[in-house]
Amino acid sequence: MKAWPHGYGRRVFEEIDSTLNEAARIALTLAGPEWIMAYHQTAGRGRRGRVWKNPQGNFSSTLVLRPEGAPEQAALRSFVAALALFDAFVAVTGRPDGLSLKWPNDVLLNGGKVAGILLESAGNGNGVTHLAVGIGVNLIAGPPDDILEERATRPVSLLGETGLKVEPEDFLLELALAFDKYETQLRTYGFEPIRTAWLARAAKVGEVITARTATSETVGTFETVDGDGNLVLNTAKGRVSIPAADVYF
Amino acid sequence: MSETKHEADVAFIKALAELLRDNDLTELEVMREYSDDDSLNVRVSRAAPAPVMAAAPTQVAIPAAAPAAAPAAAPVVADDPASHPGAVTSPMVGTVYMQAEPGAPSFISVGAQVSEGDTLLIVEAMKTMNHIHAPKSGTVKRILVDDGAAVEFGTPLVIVE
Repeated sequence: MKAWPHGYGRRVFEEIDSTLNEAARIALTLAGPEWIMAYHQTAGRGRRGRVWKNPQGNFSSTLVLRPEGAPEQAALRSFVAALALFDAFVAVTGRPDGLSLKWPNDVLLNGGKVAGILLESAGNGNGVTHLAVGIGVNLIAGPPDDILEERATRPVSLLGETGLKVEPEDFLLELALAFDKYETQLRTYGFEPIRTAWLARAAKVGEVITARTATSETVGTFETVDGDGNLVLNTAKGRVSIPAADVYF
Repeated sequence: MSETKHEADVAFIKALAELLRDNDLTELEVMREYSDDDSLNVRVSRAAPAPVMAAAPTQVAIPAAAPAAAPAAAPVVADDPASHPGAVTSPMVGTVYMQAEPGAPSFISVGAQVSEGDTLLIVEAMKTMNHIHAPKSGTVKRILVDDGAAVEFGTPLVIVE
C-alpha cells in the first residue's frame, strides 16, 4: 500500500451536495491543501452550470489549494490536474493504452470522455484566496444520455472500456500522489516541464480541431500550447492563441 | 493580432467611448502597453463638428455617440477607466461571464449595492472559473464589459464606488 502524500489533508464523505461546494465552505479555514471525496453527490456540477451526474461507484473529489501567485498561475493547475489524472489511470490500469488529453484538461480513454475537471478560484485582483480543483471520473458508468449536450464528446467509463473495477478511495490515493508530483514540478521548475509532459500526452496535435466560445468558433491546426497555457491554433488567418474555449475534434 | 485580443480591444474602446459620453468630455486619449513592442493607442473624440479619427496608422478609433449638448468644461479629466480609483480590473486573460451559469441572473447590475468579497463576475481561462470579488463595499457605478467578452490582463471590468 502506497503512503498518502505528505502535507495533504483528506476528508471522505458518504454523501454531500457537491465537493466543490464543500471546498468553498472550508477553503479559508485550511492550513494546507486538502482532498475532499464523496461517495455520493446530490448536486454535482460541471462547467457553466452543467449537471454532473454521479452514479454510485464513480469518483467525485475536489482538491482545495491556497496557491501563491497570480490567477493565471493558479489556472495552470488545469494542466497539473489533467496530468495527474492521466497518471492515476495508468497506475490503476497498469497501462497507458488508449489514454490521451484534450485541451486544457479533459482525459480521454479510447477517444471518449472518462473524466472531467472544473477549477474554481476566487480573488479580488492580484492573487487568489483559494483554488478548488473539482475532478469527476466515470469509474463504473458514464452519465445518462439525456443530460449530454449536442456535440459533447462520447462518455465512456473505466469499467466499460477496460473491465477493471476500481474503488474510489484507491483512485484517490493514486490521484493525490500524481498531483503532488506535478504540483511540486510546477512550484520548483515552473510551467515548462508541465507543458512538455502535457503535450506528450495530447490528442490531435498537428490536426485540425475546433475551439468554440459563447461568441465565436475558431477552426485551425492544433499547433501547440504556449508558455501561458493558451491553445495555439494555426488558422487561415494566422496563428491564434486561445485562453478559454471548448475544444471539439 | 488574435481575434480574442481584437475583441478585447474593441470592448476597451467601447468602454472609453461610453466614459467620454457619460462624463461629457470631448476627447480622451489612452495608451495601453501590452508588452515592449505591442501597444494600443486610442483617441476617442466627439468634438462636433470635427471628424473623429485616429492619428497613427496602428491606432484604432470609433466615434462616441452623438454629443448631447455637452457643457463647455468638464470638471475632471477622465483617464483610462483602469486608473479610476473604484475600477476592478481583470487579473488575467480570459472570457467574462456575468452569471454563475447560462440563464441565471447576473451577479451584479448598475446601481446595485455590493459588499466586500461579493462575486462581481467570473473570468475564465483554461477551465478555471476565477470569481472576481468586490475589493470593497459600495455601489456598482459602471459595468465595462459584456457577457462572453474576451479580456486582457488589466482590462477594466467594473467600477465600484
